[in-house]
Amino acid sequence: MELTRIWLTLLALTAATTALAFVPGPAAAAALLAVAFLKARAILGGFLHLGRGSGWRAAFTVPLAIWLALVWGLHVI
Amino acid sequence: MRYHSQRIAYAYFLVAMALFAVQVIFGLIMGWIYVSPNFLSELLPFNIARMLHTNSLVVWLLLGFFGATYYILPEEAEREIHSPMLAYIQLGIFVLGTLGVVVTYLFDLFHGHWLLGKEGREFLEQPKWVKVGIAVAAVIFMYNVSMTALKGRRTAVTNVLLMGLWGLVLLWLFAFYNPANLVLDKQYWWWVIHLWVEGVWELIMAAILAFLMLKLTGVDREVVEKWLYVIVATALFSGILGTGHHYYWIGLPAYWQWIGSIFSSFEIVPFFAMMSFAFVMVWKGRRDHPNKAALVWSLGCTVLAFFGAGVWGFLHTLHGVNYYTHGTQITAAHGHLAFYGAYVCLVLALVTYCMPLMKNRDPYNQVLNMASFWLMSSGMVFMTVTLTFAGTVQTHLQRVEGGFFMDVQDGLALFYWMRFGSGVAVVLGALLFIYAVLFPRREVVTAGPVQAHKDGHLEAAE
Amino acid sequence: MRVQDLPGEPIMWVLIASELLVFAAGITAMAGVRLTDPAGFAAAQAQLHGWMAALNTAILVSSGFCAALAERACHRGDGRRARIGLALAALGGAAFLAVKVVEYAGDLRAGLGMESHPFFTFYYLLTGFHAAHVLFGIGVLALVAIRLRPEEVQAGAAFWHMVDLVWVLILPPVYLLG
Repeated sequence: MELTRIWLTLLALTAATTALAFVPGPAAAAALLAVAFLKARAILGGFLHLGRGSGWRAAFTVPLAIWLALVWGLHVI
Repeated sequence: MRYHSQRIAYAYFLVAMALFAVQVIFGLIMGWIYVSPNFLSELLPFNIARMLHTNSLVVWLLLGFFGATYYILPEEAEREIHSPMLAYIQLGIFVLGTLGVVVTYLFDLFHGHWLLGKEGREFLEQPKWVKVGIAVAAVIFMYNVSMTALKGRRTAVTNVLLMGLWGLVLLWLFAFYNPANLVLDKQYWWWVIHLWVEGVWELIMAAILAFLMLKLTGVDREVVEKWLYVIVATALFSGILGTGHHYYWIGLPAYWQWIGSIFSSFEIVPFFAMMSFAFVMVWKGRRDHPNKAALVWSLGCTVLAFFGAGVWGFLHTLHGVNYYTHGTQITAAHGHLAFYGAYVCLVLALVTYCMPLMKNRDPYNQVLNMASFWLMSSGMVFMTVTLTFAGTVQTHLQRVEGGFFMDVQDGLALFYWMRFGSGVAVVLGALLFIYAVLFPRREVVTAGPVQAHKDGHLEAAE
Repeated sequence: MRVQDLPGEPIMWVLIASELLVFAAGITAMAGVRLTDPAGFAAAQAQLHGWMAALNTAILVSSGFCAALAERACHRGDGRRARIGLALAALGGAAFLAVKVVEYAGDLRAGLGMESHPFFTFYYLLTGFHAAHVLFGIGVLALVAIRLRPEEVQAGAAFWHMVDLVWVLILPPVYLLG
């Protein structure tokens, strides 16, 4: 059931991505990257079993968030 | 030395050391030609000296790897080498081929002959008969070591070592393929020497280091093997496509600039992993091995490989940088420290470890050996820094300002003098090393007085 | 944070991290080069078919879901369901590649090749390299389906999720951030 929930979450996030794609502007770009981050976190935590406890999930998601912020920065300047 | 056939390594190391001496002496001659360009210009033109310098380096490193394998394999597989006779025949072929190469390069007796004449490709100048000889010797070698490994205990060290050696031998076959199209010629050419040093040789390096760490630090095999697999994975992941950083410059499509830049940027990872590995193992190790010099060489190997191959490689690997620095003294700086750190120090570490065992005596000659490490390594680091500055100035004057090549070379004279000086230090260090591992029969510096503790361990007295 | 806490083979995680770093480096390089010609990049990107990429995202996450179900079934010892899950995951990969082929064919028909614009160099390199991983991943899924050892199925599924993960990160910068 938990896997199904993750799958549905991913599909919902994909729908959100599609909707956001039609919105111009830096805020929408940030939202697109934030949605990508949520998808990545769902895959890492849900499908790849990176639990919250060990710290490994943060080892992936924190650099990922910083990098997405960098991509956003390069996009808006 | 637990197995009789490990002694094969002794013969290999002797020939390797002789060629090592030849290599550095030719290096010194070239260093002198740089400051005095007419020196020996008729008898020994610069390009010939360079061929001998690079070819002898590669051959003695190969002999070092072969010798290392003959030493390591019996101990890992827990059995004698399949056929010592074949091992000596293999060495004989190599010695004959090497002599043939030297004579061919120096006198060029069979100019243009398809079998006997020298072939023009840089680093692959050997006449065809020598190339065939190397291939035959390599096949004999692989047969011999594979038979030994198959019948004995399988360990991660043997697996990785054999994987590296098989890769080495198979990639050699590209030396025979020389398409008329210059771009294709160069592409396959890179697959020999470059996929060696940035691919399969790294596997050999990791395996030999792992063996040394097992012996010198006494860390659990299981821990060593985990590191080994990570190093191998990152080396192959980055190295194979990382070779693409050359492709654009030899005529392949433009997208290779990005593939090469991105993958080769990650080539620093396995070298960083090897350095971390060596230091963590020493930190965790419980064994106080008497052969301190071997430990110095092993640690020095990983540090200098990290800087020479990793940092100095990254320095000019991005294509935006390489556009300006390609083929300048920056390349020479990187080449020298990378080969020295990664492969020269590696073979010398193993030679330092094995020699006392093969000569059946304690590692007496520690101080001289360690002195040679510091002399040779400081010389090489100094040379690298000097050439890096020379390359920077050269890049600016020649590639940015558009100066003429020879005018710029004239302006670099001071750097070339400094490089010659550092070359002298390297040659003296090399000769000192050879003396230290082969000749002294007693320690040159007596150890200080010690005090025994109640629990039996010894400590230097105040 | 100990190595033992990583689920599955540590070497798989070395691979996952390496792949993420390489794709991230490629995307960052693209974002950097874009600064030299934002208008040209936007014009080039406008010629892509974003809807195909969105469709492919839905296909790939569903395929990843099947791989996750297969992995769980295999751990339970339910070999039949594990094989079905792996087959569906591989089928999803094949569907992804089919859409990709249609997309590339359309691009090429429109005269958009690798050298048309720096954007297209990155577009083909990033998506092409990813597609190569999808192809390889299908092979991996087939391979682990033969013996159905739980740890191998987990490693195969981990590779597949990595391919999934990379795709969701490629999607916005390549297709959407104009």
